[in-house]
Amino acid sequence: MTKKIAFWIFLIGTLSSAAVFLGATYDTHRQVGALANVDKLSDQVVAGKRAFEKYNCNDCHTILGFGGYYAPDLTKVVQRVGEDGIRFRVKSPELAFANSPRKMPNQHVTDQEITDLVAFFRWVGEINNNDWPPQDSKKRLSRGEQMMVAKVGVSPGAAVFQSKGCMNCHSLKGTGGTFGPALDKVGAGMSAEEIEKYVRNPKDVDPDSKMPPQKDNLSERELDEVARFLATLK
Amino acid sequence: MEYRSQKIAYWYFAAALPLFVLQVVVGLWLAANYTFTIPQSIVNVFPFSTARAIHTNLLVLWMLLGFMGGTYYIIPEETKSELYSTGLAWFQLIALLATGVTAIVGFLFGWTQGRPLLEIPVELDVVVVIGALVFLFNVAMTMIKARNWTAIQGTLLGGLVFLALLYLFGMPFYRNLVIDWYYWWWVIHLWVEGAWELVTAAIFAFVLMKLTGVERQVVEKWLYVEIGLFMFTGLAGTGHHYYWIGAPRYWLWIGGIFSALEPLPILLMVFDTMHHVKKRQEKIVNPLTWTYAIGCAVLHFIGAGVWGFAHTLPQINYYTHGSQVTVSHGHLAFFGAYALLNLMTFYFAMPKLKGIAEYDDRRGKIGFWTMCIAMMIMGLTFGVAGVLQSYIERVLGMGYMVAQGYMRLWMGVTMAAGVFFLGGLLTTVVDLFTLRPAKVRA
Repeated sequence: MTKKIAFWIFLIGTLSSAAVFLGATYDTHRQVGALANVDKLSDQVVAGKRAFEKYNCNDCHTILGFGGYYAPDLTKVVQRVGEDGIRFRVKSPELAFANSPRKMPNQHVTDQEITDLVAFFRWVGEINNNDWPPQDSKKRLSRGEQMMVAKVGVSPGAAVFQSKGCMNCHSLKGTGGTFGPALDKVGAGMSAEEIEKYVRNPKDVDPDSKMPPQKDNLSERELDEVARFLATLK
Repeated sequence: MEYRSQKIAYWYFAAALPLFVLQVVVGLWLAANYTFTIPQSIVNVFPFSTARAIHTNLLVLWMLLGFMGGTYYIIPEETKSELYSTGLAWFQLIALLATGVTAIVGFLFGWTQGRPLLEIPVELDVVVVIGALVFLFNVAMTMIKARNWTAIQGTLLGGLVFLALLYLFGMPFYRNLVIDWYYWWWVIHLWVEGAWELVTAAIFAFVLMKLTGVERQVVEKWLYVEIGLFMFTGLAGTGHHYYWIGAPRYWLWIGGIFSALEPLPILLMVFDTMHHVKKRQEKIVNPLTWTYAIGCAVLHFIGAGVWGFAHTLPQINYYTHGSQVTVSHGHLAFFGAYALLNLMTFYFAMPKLKGIAEYDDRRGKIGFWTMCIAMMIMGLTFGVAGVLQSYIERVLGMGYMVAQGYMRLWMGVTMAAGVFFLGGLLTTVVDLFTLRPAKVRA
């Protein structure tokens, strides 16, 4: 092989790869509107993105898998912890992560910025990104969900547990918040009636309890179901 | 040293080394964040995110200073002429250093663009661009005036122009997060797997040629094949970052196929290094410089080639993407490919700049082996943590913090290895600043 042939290898190698790359880049721009729901990319979503950058969230959290690996990925955060869950964590991280070995800084994010952030995350969560991350895939169930599905035949309370924000503070099999205790074995120590009483007014049972009383949030029926579900966890 | 203006390279190296030390110190703090519980009061004023921004920006800053210093050392010898202007070289060194220090102090006060690795605010980006233009102008004018074109010069200049152009894609604000990441990788990926590889290949070819005395025609022939393969696999290989960002599905094929070939040019680099060393015409004067050259080729292959390949296929990457597996690959690859390349250049050029023909390399050897062994251990422990994370969090679907609990021990071991790395690095830095002639062997 001569140096001249080597030079042609360089030139053809570079140009062919660049052609593939730039061609696919052009096509990606054509398709991204549909894949990322650009019609829903409102000014509020953009404001949320600016807030996300202002507080440098991305150097601890990943989003679409990129960024710091110090905190959970935020791609499907709305689906995972709910909009209230996001508000609680950003507003009062010192409470939300009081019992967590890893803390989140309180950056005094304004209420408006938090609302924008939530809109941004809602938009990000709907990007068609080949079903990543796997732990949030709707095609497969996480351990916490599997556990609830296994119980749901005997108690629809599992659905209440997930939809009424209990998991912002409590966890099942490691899924959920850490502000309140994990409830994996709550049924071993409390009956359904005791749980019901506790949830309605925690301070009546334990004066030191930090849990807010659940009054308007849960109907009688919902409370009954969720208590019976929790009592089965032993 | 054959040309007076080469002396400027020394000050680039001297600026780069303390920044490297600072980068590693901040790295240890990051590892401590994973290992211990940092109280809320500290997290509120100095969060992990700020420390990470400092750690990564210091990396880019010291490595770019190293590349620039290396370039200023090589260009006079390649063109057989003095630099166009040492004044501009000084201006640009001070501008880059001042920008870097301002940026890092700014991070502490929350002045940031808020995008990982590209945290430097737009105002400072402008200074960086001006500095880069001055640098390119200086290098290009030296080459044009000298009219002694070689493939090494062409590759070096091409790589540096490409590097500067790509930086521009990281500057605008993108409304759409998908497009944002799409062009973010034009900076990050096309730097480290494109432009930086060109610069590295050119510097490496130059040092090898000087060390081994192998004919220029042979060295430059292999250089063309290498950079051809780097470009062929690296450009379209950017696709391995587009699997899960909301880009079309065909990127899984483009990224998977091209990046599976990415180890090839590095493997070629290992082979031709071995070949040149075997066919050497010069006797080995400073064994440590040779050790660095071979160490760089081998660890470049392990860190960038093997570790990169290990999680580049979409089927695997689906579970490892955005986990500590990436961190393991990042550390081994940057150290093997770029830290060792820079240190090799320093060990090649600094004795000559000080007029030492044969240097005492006893401390340097300790530094080299301590750093290499410590970094290999860190690569493995980050890797174990990453596999645990991928399995517990992604496969089993247990919570993020549950996985982090199992990983904690391994992050602690990483921190311990990091302390050894810092020890090796300090030994190396002190050695480079106080090089002494070797005692005549009796």
